[in-house]
Amino acid sequence: MKTLVLGLGNPVLGDDGIGWRVAEECAMLLADALHIEVDCFALGGLSLMERLIGYDRAILIDASVTQHEPPGAVHCFRLEELSDLAAGHTSSSHDTTLTTALQMGRHMGARLPDSILVVTVQAQGVSEFSEELSPAVAAAIPQAVQVVMRKLKEQSIRQ
Amino acid sequence: MQRITIDPITRLEGHGKIEIFLNDEGDVANTYFQIPELRGFERFCVGRPVEELPEITGRICGVCPEAHHLAAAKACDAVYHVDPPSPAKKLRELLYSAFYVTDHTTHFYALGGPDFVMGPDAPVPERNILGVIHKVGLEIGGKVIQARKYGHTVIEMIGGRKVHPCTSIPGGQSHGITEETRQEIEKMGRWAIEFAQFSLKLFDDLVLKDSEYLGLILGDIYTHHTYYIGTVDENNKVNFYDGKVSVVDPDGKRIGKYAANEYGDWIAEHVEPWTYLKFPYLKKIGWKGFVDGRYSGVYVASPLSRLNAADGLATPLAQQEYDRFYCTLGGKPVHQRLATHWARLIELLYAAERWVELATDPEITSDNFRTLPTEKPTEGVGIVEAPRGTLTHHYWTDERGIVTKVNLIVGTTNNYAAISMSVKKAAQNFIHKGTVVTEGLLNRVEMAFRLYDPCFGCATHSLPGQMPLQVTIRDARGNVVAVLKQHC
Repeated sequence: MKTLVLGLGNPVLGDDGIGWRVAEECAMLLADALHIEVDCFALGGLSLMERLIGYDRAILIDASVTQHEPPGAVHCFRLEELSDLAAGHTSSSHDTTLTTALQMGRHMGARLPDSILVVTVQAQGVSEFSEELSPAVAAAIPQAVQVVMRKLKEQSIRQ
Repeated sequence: MQRITIDPITRLEGHGKIEIFLNDEGDVANTYFQIPELRGFERFCVGRPVEELPEITGRICGVCPEAHHLAAAKACDAVYHVDPPSPAKKLRELLYSAFYVTDHTTHFYALGGPDFVMGPDAPVPERNILGVIHKVGLEIGGKVIQARKYGHTVIEMIGGRKVHPCTSIPGGQSHGITEETRQEIEKMGRWAIEFAQFSLKLFDDLVLKDSEYLGLILGDIYTHHTYYIGTVDENNKVNFYDGKVSVVDPDGKRIGKYAANEYGDWIAEHVEPWTYLKFPYLKKIGWKGFVDGRYSGVYVASPLSRLNAADGLATPLAQQEYDRFYCTLGGKPVHQRLATHWARLIELLYAAERWVELATDPEITSDNFRTLPTEKPTEGVGIVEAPRGTLTHHYWTDERGIVTKVNLIVGTTNNYAAISMSVKKAAQNFIHKGTVVTEGLLNRVEMAFRLYDPCFGCATHSLPGQMPLQVTIRDARGNVVAVLKQHC
């Protein structure tokens, strides 16, 4: 049972780098874990789908830019629960949504994860170039890491 | 007409805004569009060693890091006054050709193609790559994945990483390729040529042979008579990596070519009070407003523009397609913007042929892939053709090579004025005598953006029918007549 924990986002676009930062923390905790790989990724759509080939489960970590959420709020969704995958930077007009890309990959017979969870951290700003996170977003790292580790544990118990 | 001031808004809340003003007759007088930009890039670069920029600029938006990487690499060569040896240039161009195959393939099958193959009025859920697969057959999906895989493999072999290359340094490349690698690259390139031909045939069967689609291409919508620019080699054939930028007028006559360090003599930027965007225009012609014609300095940079600005393509199969293109569309230049989708496929074929040409060049496995810079760094410009338009990187450094200033004109920036004009034209089609046809307005406006394959803020990061957009229409007294919104 191969699992991929993937931090998504652009590490030089302010809070859009939160996914990478959370993944890096998880990588340290999971250094000796068997069958769990941790990585960082900056692309969406087809490239993201291609990155997921060969894994049974995946946890994606990304910044969210929904309305009415305070910066730093952490949530976890199943991929299917997220209605508009065009939101934020996970897809682009030069590409497809992850959902469409996954459908396509499955059509092609690619081995793609049965379960994809998405852990999100609400961003304050993702439009300005910076290697720094906003304070509220940075403060959410431990909580986001906890969510990822808990989900991994739940999944391994269910196995 | 009542005067209303539109302030450039610092935070556009992640969506595009269009303000439409009607005259006393209820027809469109003016349109103003504002879009969120990614900000602070120059500030982010200042103070860094200039050789970091090929790495950093690749992170600007993640869509064409390869283009930024190479424009930055060329700018760094210029800053250090060093000319890379021929094998290094060929390696870079080989990487770039493979990238073009990947990018144009993805664009056509995942975006442009669906718009076209499924039709611009097809329901949103069908206007994606799945719709195309459904219509054409399952095998096309496999080919698209294969083309991307081969492209990414070549980029990794030469550039060190699959998407964000890191091997271009001032004066050349950090490593070369072995004969074994070269053979693999050649093999993948030959597959790419066949795939490009297959794609053109598909376009021919599904689009050109359909009189309704052909009518759509030849029609007036999004047709503008502007200047066109694109990089050409010394024979005036399209080249994505190097050469001079050719500029042709709306009648197709070349008015000049400029080298990278001359761009300041040719391109100036016009400022409008209602937006932070600046509008590049041709200095020699001058800014006359958002209008067509040879007295207006508005120009376009795109696949269509590149074909219009060149005398042909340097590879035989693509050249044949080029001839057929202009023959079908009634001669040069072609002004109908929908033809950009076809132009893109012709470029796909050229890129694949060039891939094989370079992979079989005797110099490509040479050990001579770098010239060490010896001069003091000062200032330099690097220009490449990004898939969506001419990309210019201009850097200034101190004597240690630390960046003091940066100016970028990215692909889409070239087209800001033209996009404005297309948006206005779309609005005019749907608003007459005070009556707004809401159905279709947002879609057509969005199509105006997407034709240019834009690379900014909300437009980049959204999909057909899902671009966050708000359109406000006011009458001659400034009262709001209608507000149309999608995804915001």
